[in-house]
Amino acid sequence: MIMVFVRKATVVDSIKYLVFLGVIIFILVLSSLNMNYNWQWYRIPGYIFSHSADGSLEPGRLLTGLAITIKISVISLFLAFFIGIITALLRLSSSFAARAVSRIYLELIRNTPLLIQLFVIYFVISPVFGISPFLSAVLALSLFEGAYASEIIRGGISAIPKGQWESAYSLGLSSIDTYRYIILPQTLKQVLPPLTGQAVSLIKDSALVSTIAIFDLTMAGQAIISETFLTFEIWFTVALIYLLMTVSISIFVHYLEKRNSYAQ
Amino acid sequence: MPSKPIISVTKLNKYFYSPDKSLKIDAVKNVTVDLYQGEVVVVIGPSGAGKSTFLRCLNGLEDFDSGSIIIDDIPLNHHHKNRLEIRKEVGMVFQSFNLFPHMTVRENISLSVRRVRKKSTAECEKITASLLDKVGITDKIDSYPGQLSGGQQQRVAIARALAMNPKVMLFDEATSALDPEMISEVLDVMKNLAKDGMSMVVVTHEMGFAREAGSRILFMDNGEIVEDREVGGFFEDPLEDRSKAFLSKVL
Repeated sequence: MIMVFVRKATVVDSIKYLVFLGVIIFILVLSSLNMNYNWQWYRIPGYIFSHSADGSLEPGRLLTGLAITIKISVISLFLAFFIGIITALLRLSSSFAARAVSRIYLELIRNTPLLIQLFVIYFVISPVFGISPFLSAVLALSLFEGAYASEIIRGGISAIPKGQWESAYSLGLSSIDTYRYIILPQTLKQVLPPLTGQAVSLIKDSALVSTIAIFDLTMAGQAIISETFLTFEIWFTVALIYLLMTVSISIFVHYLEKRNSYAQ
Repeated sequence: MPSKPIISVTKLNKYFYSPDKSLKIDAVKNVTVDLYQGEVVVVIGPSGAGKSTFLRCLNGLEDFDSGSIIIDDIPLNHHHKNRLEIRKEVGMVFQSFNLFPHMTVRENISLSVRRVRKKSTAECEKITASLLDKVGITDKIDSYPGQLSGGQQQRVAIARALAMNPKVMLFDEATSALDPEMISEVLDVMKNLAKDGMSMVVVTHEMGFAREAGSRILFMDNGEIVEDREVGGFFEDPLEDRSKAFLSKVL
């Protein structure tokens, strides 16, 4: 009985959804026809793949930019994760100095705009230490996302039942072993979904690095537009590429979660 | 009975404050007691008497305010190293099992052997197998705690505590969270341990266990030890009024 009911509801819902989608597409098509814009979608594939002199395919400018975006994002993601764990542990530590340092870092990062942090690192700090633009970008992004990741991880650690600590201690495990074998494995499983959200944010925020002369996906799009005036086509394509990246991350993590779940 | 106690508690005091700090509650009050090798000391008393707090003080899960605890010649104080040493010699079994849910039974039991006792993998396997045999669940070695019944989980928890080869075992209401039909399987394991000569401190409401397996009763009320007697005497002929009142309610 209940199954039939659910199926009926699903069908009705799907119809509503399709009607809604149809209306949106209709409006989009109508307005694009009315705005006297000369759509030239046929030129876009050339910026994704281009033909080299000997006729073989090579990555176009958008894909080259995408490679930079992925490189920056992946490195920042790992760094942000480690910064997040270390900051979370510092905030939960019994040392006053450790808590103060992590607190100042968190408040500083979370209460100023990422763009300003990027500029400060690129224009103020990097000349002093001779840091490359690429490294400046990685540093800014990982410090920024690390602050948010640390709050997620700290929440996850605090949510582990007290009994887990007590049984670990009563077995004579050291604090480090307790974190390593008992607390962190359970925490990471719990915080994986919110951390994925943070990874998606990081990829989106990485578009800001185009402001410090890094030829990432966004910068590549901007450059192409300034030469060709294919404003709509390029921005839609760039947006779609970002969407593909973030959605595939979500799907991958969903798969991981399913595989790693244990009976509880 | 050897002359030197394995646990020596002197004038132990532990206070709690009510949330608004206006009220001071004595959780453990002036407790002095010596426990010897091979004794099975059963701590009983009404709820809120401080039995669990006293027990948790013994392996440093709870800090105490004054007095001293000496276990196997090591004083339990603010020295972190002593605390770790004592925890290696004192096993504990909790009311809510507290198994590690992300580890199999095998990993739960062998973790401390591997990380604290630094034994080889082969030795870990041997110890794990023999302990599971002792608690009677050899077939569940690769299961996760979530796949076991409460009684099985508690037996794994006992095996996990025994894996450290402790000199004393503490049981904190080990059967209170169990369904009635599973209580006996856990109590049987505890009785066998007692028979094998393990020194045990057992906080429990199971008077049957106290009578059958206990060698000594500590009756606690309001944080104090009211009566400290051998089992037979306590149940046949309690001396204190509070013990009499308690026994008349639970027996």
